[in-house]
Amino acid sequence: MGKNGSGKSTFAKVLVGHPDYKITGGNVSFKGENLLEMEPEERSLAGVFMSFQSPVAIPGVSNIDFLNMAYNAKRKKLGQPELGPIEFYGHIAPKLELVNMKIDFLNRNVNDGFSGGERKRNEILQLAVLGADLAILGEIDSGLDVDALRDVAKAVNWLLSFKNSVLMITHYLRLLEFIKPTYIHIMEDGRIIKTGDISIAEVLEKEGYKAISGT
Amino acid sequence: MASALAPIFSTKSTSVSVSSSLSTPTRISTKSTSVSVYSSLSTPTRINQKNPKVRVFTKPKLNPISAFSDPYVLQIAETLEDSLPSLSSPPLQKLRETSSETLLSTPWPSRKDEPFRFTDTSFLKNSRIEPILPPKIQSSSLDVFSDTLLPTISILDGYIMNELSQLKELASGVYVGSLLSVKSEAILKRVSEYESDFKGDLFWSLNGVGTPDVLLVYVPEGCKVENTLVLRYISGESSDKGSKALPFSNPRVLVLVEKGGEISIVEEYVGGEKDKCYWSNSVIEVVVGEGAKVSHSYLQNQSLNAAHIKWTWVQQESTSTYEHIEVSTGGKLSRHNIHIQQVGPDTVTELSTFHMCISDQTQDLHSRLVLDHPRGVSQQIHKCIVAHSSGQAVFDGNVQVNRYAQQTDAGQLTRSLLLEPRATVNVKPNLQIIADDVKCSHGAAISDLEEDQLFYFRARGVDVETARKALIFSFAAEVVDRFPNASIRKKVETHIRELLDPSRP
Repeated sequence: MGKNGSGKSTFAKVLVGHPDYKITGGNVSFKGENLLEMEPEERSLAGVFMSFQSPVAIPGVSNIDFLNMAYNAKRKKLGQPELGPIEFYGHIAPKLELVNMKIDFLNRNVNDGFSGGERKRNEILQLAVLGADLAILGEIDSGLDVDALRDVAKAVNWLLSFKNSVLMITHYLRLLEFIKPTYIHIMEDGRIIKTGDISIAEVLEKEGYKAISGT
Repeated sequence: MASALAPIFSTKSTSVSVSSSLSTPTRISTKSTSVSVYSSLSTPTRINQKNPKVRVFTKPKLNPISAFSDPYVLQIAETLEDSLPSLSSPPLQKLRETSSETLLSTPWPSRKDEPFRFTDTSFLKNSRIEPILPPKIQSSSLDVFSDTLLPTISILDGYIMNELSQLKELASGVYVGSLLSVKSEAILKRVSEYESDFKGDLFWSLNGVGTPDVLLVYVPEGCKVENTLVLRYISGESSDKGSKALPFSNPRVLVLVEKGGEISIVEEYVGGEKDKCYWSNSVIEVVVGEGAKVSHSYLQNQSLNAAHIKWTWVQQESTSTYEHIEVSTGGKLSRHNIHIQQVGPDTVTELSTFHMCISDQTQDLHSRLVLDHPRGVSQQIHKCIVAHSSGQAVFDGNVQVNRYAQQTDAGQLTRSLLLEPRATVNVKPNLQIIADDVKCSHGAAISDLEEDQLFYFRARGVDVETARKALIFSFAAEVVDRFPNASIRKKVETHIRELLDPSRP
């Protein structure tokens, strides 16, 4: 959590390897490897997943084809045989239920003509299909109505296990009611200035960021 | 003026004497080109009309011909004339006469002519043009049978090959075959009533002179043809790269769809062996009657060293629909001219075209839509990919919304993808609007692939190469998805994937 402009989204993008940013110093260690030396696709295959705040549309590529390509990339890395379209469909059909989306959604082009809520749910679907060791969810709650929020939270909770982690970027307590965080970090000016548990969020809600910063 | 023997290529005459010699039919041609340029006849000679095959040679005199005639054009025209039998049916003879007359005053296009500003035709001019004679091949020697189960007619080097066709029974009253073999008086009458006075360019006229036959596709009134008809153009004769000789064919098709008729046609041009050289110069005329519907799919996959020039001329009567979907990937020089003439109101016209260069090719589309009547609706999308640094794409999309074309709704969009440094595209979308109550739009964009989209793929574990291929393919998909026939669509998808990724198993 943190004020607008504190660097939360920038941090997430840097972790994922967004070309807009150039690293001038420091390192990131992920499962024993230096993440910053890896290409974006290598980071994804290593287990880092970031859900985009405003995912780009790709007219001409259907959701199922896109997911199939990404899934097969993972399978290839693990030395497993790739799945053809039909087998793949069998694999992902149950995941659709998880995010409460209909089957026809798969034939639509990636994020093409999707509402905000649909885009966010598409991100979670991708997470459910591909899996991740570290899932970075950037402001997943913004623009979602309460039902959609509940669906997303349910999916994230289902995906969370003792083997993986989720890093959520959010402003409001609302999401935290559904997904209970183990830690909360507050960012200010690009630095983490405080780490604690859920009680920090309650302080923020009552007294705002002034109460936290500089304390 | 009588007889079927109008003067053709009396290269000895100036433009003035052409018209006077029309009244005294004379047929003269010479076989030696150097003589033909500088000789003239002061008085036209009447030849023996009972023996029409005689060609009369006259003693050359040394008057230069008029500046209107291009000697090179005349030379090709004479070569064509010599390669064809002199007797033929009235419609074909009339076509030859009209075309030859036009050729007398049509020069070879140069880069200074606007329609050929970006298109270099010099390699044609520098070759020795050899019209292809009627083929005598065995069907087993060519891979001619279509891999679809659709009714197919094969045209080999411009000659209709019934023995290589698999034409099932189409609906009753429908005729698909040579114009010279039509037996029905009614159909012949209709064909003769239809007379196009359209003057295309030099290549249109060359086809008129050189075509050995016309394939007629006739759909009677109210007839809705269920099966898609495939016209398969095969190039048999070819020369090797480096040879000066260029085998030349002139296929010609006339599609006449009467009022309320419907048909779906696929024109498929398949190249001979890879890297072979030839020149295919084809013309198709499509008359869409009142309320009729024609769906026209066109696939061009000629050899990468071949020249392919094509004219598609369409006449749309009121409330008719013409849909054109095109994928052009072959040919060293590929030029497609589309001319759509609206002759009644409330027409619907859809043009979706995709061109791609994967080697040093030129893919050129010149389209013109002329609207003279109200409430026409038209939508044009042209996409091209240039994936080679010496490749070039050209697009000139002209839409004329004339004075009486009120309440026209016309849109045109062109998008080009340049994937290699120094790849070139020249686009000239042009709308000429005279009517004042219309809705017209046009847009053009030229770019490389979008970074955002590429990154999205990478963030999901897909490497750059695979992502690029997926995005390039999806660029083409917008047009490919429009083919109405599923087997054609699949075939084109596979073909494009192969071109983009030759290493794929």
